[in-house]
Amino acid sequence: MSDFFNANLVLVQSTLTGLLLALSIQVPLRMGVFSFAGAGSYGIGAYATGILVLRYEMDALPAIALTALGTAVIGLLLGALISRLGGLYLAMATVAFDLIISVIAINGGELTGASTGLFGIITDFTTGQMFVLTVAVLALVAMSEVGRLGRRVDTVRDDPELAASMGINVRRYRLAAFVVSGALGGLAGGMNVLVRSTVGPLDIGFGLIVLALTMIIVGGSRSWKGALIGAVIFTWLPDLLTVIGEWQELVYGVIVAVAAIFLPRGIYGVLQDGTRWVQRVRRDRRAAARGGPVVDADGGLRPQEDEAAVLVAQAAEQPVRELDQLSGRTQGAP
Amino acid sequence: MSTPVVQTDDAGTAGTAPVLELRDVAVHFGGVKAVDGISLQLEPGRIYGIIGPNGSGKSTLIAGITRLTGLTRGELLLDGQPVHDVAPSRLAGRGVARTFQTVRLLADLTVRANVQIGADARADGGRSRRGPTGWLRPGATSPAVADAIARTRLEGFEDHYPAELSYGTQRRVEIARAIAMGPRLLLLDEPTAGMNQTERAEISALMRSMRTGGLCQLLVEHDVQMMIDTCDYVFAMNSGRLIAQGAPAEVVRDPAVQEAYLGRKWREHADGD
Amino acid sequence: MQDLVSVVTLGSVYLLFALGMSITWGTIDILNFAHGSVFMFSAFSASLVLERLTLGLVPVLLIGVVVGALMSVLIQVVAFEQIIKRARDRRTAEMQILIGGIGVAIIPLAIAQHHTQSNPFGLNASSFTVESISLGGLRITNIQVLTVLLALALWAAAAVWLRRSRQGLALRAIGVDAQTAALMGVDRRRLALVTMAVAGGMAGLSGVLFTFSLGAITPESGDTLLVKAFACIILGGVGSMLGVAFGAYLLAAAEVVILTQTNGSWVEAVSFGLIFLVLLVRPAGVFGRKEVRRT
Ligand SMILES: Nc1ncnc2c1ncn2[C@@H]1O[C@H](COP(=O)(O)OP(=O)(O)O)[C@@H](O)[C@H]1O
Ligand SMILES: [Mg+2]
Repeated sequence: MSDFFNANLVLVQSTLTGLLLALSIQVPLRMGVFSFAGAGSYGIGAYATGILVLRYEMDALPAIALTALGTAVIGLLLGALISRLGGLYLAMATVAFDLIISVIAINGGELTGASTGLFGIITDFTTGQMFVLTVAVLALVAMSEVGRLGRRVDTVRDDPELAASMGINVRRYRLAAFVVSGALGGLAGGMNVLVRSTVGPLDIGFGLIVLALTMIIVGGSRSWKGALIGAVIFTWLPDLLTVIGEWQELVYGVIVAVAAIFLPRGIYGVLQDGTRWVQRVRRDRRAAARGGPVVDADGGLRPQEDEAAVLVAQAAEQPVRELDQLSGRTQGAP
Repeated sequence: MSTPVVQTDDAGTAGTAPVLELRDVAVHFGGVKAVDGISLQLEPGRIYGIIGPNGSGKSTLIAGITRLTGLTRGELLLDGQPVHDVAPSRLAGRGVARTFQTVRLLADLTVRANVQIGADARADGGRSRRGPTGWLRPGATSPAVADAIARTRLEGFEDHYPAELSYGTQRRVEIARAIAMGPRLLLLDEPTAGMNQTERAEISALMRSMRTGGLCQLLVEHDVQMMIDTCDYVFAMNSGRLIAQGAPAEVVRDPAVQEAYLGRKWREHADGD
Repeated sequence: MQDLVSVVTLGSVYLLFALGMSITWGTIDILNFAHGSVFMFSAFSASLVLERLTLGLVPVLLIGVVVGALMSVLIQVVAFEQIIKRARDRRTAEMQILIGGIGVAIIPLAIAQHHTQSNPFGLNASSFTVESISLGGLRITNIQVLTVLLALALWAAAAVWLRRSRQGLALRAIGVDAQTAALMGVDRRRLALVTMAVAGGMAGLSGVLFTFSLGAITPESGDTLLVKAFACIILGGVGSMLGVAFGAYLLAAAEVVILTQTNGSWVEAVSFGLIFLVLLVRPAGVFGRKEVRRT
């Protein structure tokens, strides 16, 4: 086990940062906020941690904490600016944000190391610490998927108007999505730069968005478990695919495209549908044993049939018009 | 039922200070005057009805009351406090619950979880029976949810998903979700559309049973019999304005109301020929 | 003055590329994130053919157009139609189309990267040679002249097509109101395919022209262009033909100014910054007709 661990240290580390990066985009998506700002936060986080360690000689953990706090605040400011935009417009505004961060990195002169970036970022940060941090964050994210908070997040995503009338402050949730996304992205970037000891402009940018989306699309967009599945697959797949040889990039692309088109809720969504089906079968079997309702009590009329039935009934009983109903019934009433 | 869902009126007296008051409320969409100067008062413990032809502004009026649509002008007072500037989400906490004209359930949640969303809005979160961690045990039904499910006769469907239910049953889940909020003002937008006569009678009985707790209800409904059976007082709307109000049987016989329904029908009839 | 030449030629490349994106987004609601890879892959295909055959300018341009149109139609049939068929509502469809486009775009990119080892590729094997001509003291290449003329001609043709022809009318009806369009008997599927073919053809054409005038492009160059095209479109307003031209030349002008005033490395930030600014100040764009949906 530990041999395996040591031999694949880099892959384990990449899985953890990949997971956090994916979560930084998945969390807002789960709230119906189509934001890719997590990739920008990753870039900011990587450079900020690097600069704090190199120029201010900070220790790893304080540097990371400060970084995550900073990217959370930046997320809040960004959210305050653009969270009112809808759908694609919001998505593109955040893509622009991510790319601006890349341009700033190139133009940061001595501070960011321009096109060569930063290197020699050496601290006592261990993979163990990285693991603990990631698990802690994962637990927090998991808590937002169950119970009251989970239901509220679902409502905000699926039907913001309904959410508002159920007492949910939709704007606050959307802002929270930006803040959490910022913190997660910053953390991912910060941890990555600490274990890799370098960061350059090529490490951040549009490719990060594609990577994170890839993990979410294939793994699943509705749960941290999906992000975990995606992060594991896409960190380890290229290694396994060397068997397939030189066409690994193509295989990778086909997997993503197929998942994006045919499995909108990813592998985890398929697993979930499976468990739901089993639950349903069990439930109906139990109900049948008790003699309770198996199918819907009123025969499972679908809406269209139902409306048609109402119309037909009306036409048959009240051939003339609603007034007949109005006056007739009224006169009949005591 | 151990816990009453409907919060009792603190004053304990029905028909005194209005729960909701509208003063010259208007909602315009560009040139469309969907609601155009409506004033009314709703008192606790009573059931009010709104009738009016399609497009007369009934749903828009409810959207205005629940702040999902901004008011073009006018005032909205809840318990005498102006609320036309508060966020829509604040109204739920102050006891306003509603259903929508179309079914709006979350497809990925069970009936129980959908109803629980309503209970989540209560001050106690409807979670008076918490597990040691403060979370409701998975599969457990909180009292408020159990009560709302019982009242809407949804027992046995708790673990179903909305897509497995008939339209009428889906609508009952919507009503259960609103009841689970423990409201003092309940707004129902055509709750019985697509229901059969038996189901309608059940909803009518349900509404009347909730009146005893001091709950004020506003029902949008096309079925005249249901209106007469259920409501204490009816408003008739046409083209965004109130054209009649009073006892249900009288409003329904009002010439202006008949003209509003009939005139339109006649014109459609003539056009059709 | 030489800068003005730069603005016009650069703006024309942007226009040619953004035109297709603008038409599909404005009419059939498809913001095609694979448009950049269609652009790149058409030029790449042309370069592959040139490895075997020596061709002149027109055949090479034709290869670009045909490959672009075919790819675009293929993406529509295999990806976007499937997504629309399965999506719960318009909002989810919109997002899945964006994500699906990003996913599909990986494939042509992977192929091109594999073949070129991520190095720039060009069309130098063509019998056509890029030559500099001098017009009243201004230096301009023959391919630049061609780019400008083709961009303006196609832009005008697209505008007329959208405004006049029966197909254009049907397309605009879809852009305005899908339900009304369906009632009017518009065959949505066929129109969508035609639109995607036209858009893809333009992307392919711009890919070949751009590669000729730069000498070589990298497989990744589609991505940046995509974001720039988005900037052009929202600058002018989604669905507006006048708008996209305005956006393309304004963006080119802003970039040329930055290029000449600074050391050049900030150029890329112009389009990103403009996107941000426009969305904050005037989300409907300068000539926009549609209200931006807000939540
Ligand atoms: N969001 C909106 N934008 C524009 N017009 C609207 C909107 N909502 C409703 N309307 C218009 O307002 C009028 C009243 O609609 P509505 O309140 O739904 O009527 P009802 O519920 O009585 O059938 C209709 O003419 C409708 O077209
Ligand atoms: Mg209505």
